[in-house]
Amino acid sequence: MSDHKERLEQSLSALMDGEATEMETHRLLKAVAQDRQLRDRWTRYHMASATIKGEPATTSIDYSAAISAAIDQEPAHRRSALTVFAGSAGRFAIAASVALVAVFGVQQLNSPAGTSLINDSGAISEFAGVETAAENTGPAIQFPSGFQPTINARTVSVGGNNKTSLRTAPGLDVQQAQQQITQQYSEAELRAYLNNVMTKHSSHAALNSNQGMLPFARLSEVGGQEESQGAGEAVSEKE
Amino acid sequence: MVVSSIVNISFKAIKQAALVAAVLLPGPLFAEQMESAHDLMARMAKASRELNYSGVFTYEHRGNLTSAKLIHEVREGKIYERLLHMDGTQRDAVSRSDNLDCLRTGDMLLRGNAYKINNENYSRLKDFYEFHIKDDGRIANRQVSMVHVLPRDKYRYGYVVAIDKESGLLLQSVLMSHTGKPLERFQFVDISIGESRPEMDSQIKGNQFGNIDQADCVESNRKVDIPQSMWQLSWLPPGFVLASYQSPGEDGQESLMYTDGLAVFSVFIDSVQGNTLPPVDAKLGATVAVLTKADINGHQYAICVVGEIPRGTANQVASAIGLAP
Repeated sequence: MSDHKERLEQSLSALMDGEATEMETHRLLKAVAQDRQLRDRWTRYHMASATIKGEPATTSIDYSAAISAAIDQEPAHRRSALTVFAGSAGRFAIAASVALVAVFGVQQLNSPAGTSLINDSGAISEFAGVETAAENTGPAIQFPSGFQPTINARTVSVGGNNKTSLRTAPGLDVQQAQQQITQQYSEAELRAYLNNVMTKHSSHAALNSNQGMLPFARLSEVGGQEESQGAGEAVSEKE
Repeated sequence: MVVSSIVNISFKAIKQAALVAAVLLPGPLFAEQMESAHDLMARMAKASRELNYSGVFTYEHRGNLTSAKLIHEVREGKIYERLLHMDGTQRDAVSRSDNLDCLRTGDMLLRGNAYKINNENYSRLKDFYEFHIKDDGRIANRQVSMVHVLPRDKYRYGYVVAIDKESGLLLQSVLMSHTGKPLERFQFVDISIGESRPEMDSQIKGNQFGNIDQADCVESNRKVDIPQSMWQLSWLPPGFVLASYQSPGEDGQESLMYTDGLAVFSVFIDSVQGNTLPPVDAKLGATVAVLTKADINGHQYAICVVGEIPRGTANQVASAIGLAP
């Protein structure tokens, strides 16, 4: 039992790192619906993460109980319903509502300003959202160049980041486009800073990690993209 | 009763003999199989510094592949290294180490030596990683021993490494996430070992290796002599020790570098630059960068933790930094 618990906790931290497998996520969602302790832990992780990022840690409200209660209140899902079908539908809805809360958490962590928070179109599209988010942190084929910053929602306006712009509809309104231009400036600055520390870190690592100069290979994109970065990004952002 | 126990014992003996025989059967491989993972790692640490080798390796992360050529030469007690990127813009990196015997903290830890943190505590690689020797393999047309290096806690990642049986050189290194997904991979495609590269002559003579700043050698007391920083971490992931320190330069940036022997992370503290930057979590392959702000005594500092460590660890480190008492 405690082994099981330990595994869940590992999955949870994997989820926080954006590294949980689909299986793990499902298991977590199932467990979190019943396990108060695990839920609290999850909340704490988010608060810690929010604090570190300088967000006000007010996200600790647990909606899941209220949502479950609301679902129980709904005639269609009431537990007293006679058919087995209704009972299982109720359970599904609870799971889905917990999933929704969980997904919000992940979104807040992994994606910039309120993309999917605003887009409030039910559990299925939220799951799809998670998949895109996971994908977007991933394939460098889409972003062959360097760091992909996940900018804190507090400091950055909506639609600033590549990820967001990829998911926004083609017809951007003017206001957003303007925000993107100002955003691009600070993003370029940010990239320059990150590239700088990355280069220094690599030379540290080369001297101290026994991999000899291998860490310098990590710089290939960082170093190479500095010149081409501006143009390349502008294109990808406007698409 | 006595007879039966004797029979039992002899049965056990036969069983054991059979087992030993089974292990012995592969013959020549036996000696290497018995080489412990620690010996292998120690041999690797030594080989990567002291041998001459040159080859082409690939670096891969998240579907992105680049390649580079590495030349490593030891001449008259000095180590010369050159890494040339084979794709993208033309660029290379060079390094020179004037003292072959100068061991860094990472070397020390990887060679299985205890590292003195303070008077009571020692850091040892094996306290933080498990080493398992797996099947043999073939990388860059050479026979290798595969070693799985598993972290004992969630503060660091694991590795799958391939070590050349003959020379002890590291031919492949895959960084693994806690869920067992590869995060990045270095792998030699082709390597020649023990040969001197003629093109290095002119480069060394042409002083292309310039003055590369020397890292801190670990002294005989197994502690790096590092100037005191005004900064201190109130929490460190277990096993990590300070390996080098860079005092603030003209740009107002100072840095601290920590290693546990395998993983490395750097902490940058900026008093001037970076104040205009938003707090950020960034990821490049297996490298995370966590940029936070700290307001200390009315002055804004940007603190950036960069390393091949889990994001949670980087976050924790970033929030643990403060002024030394």
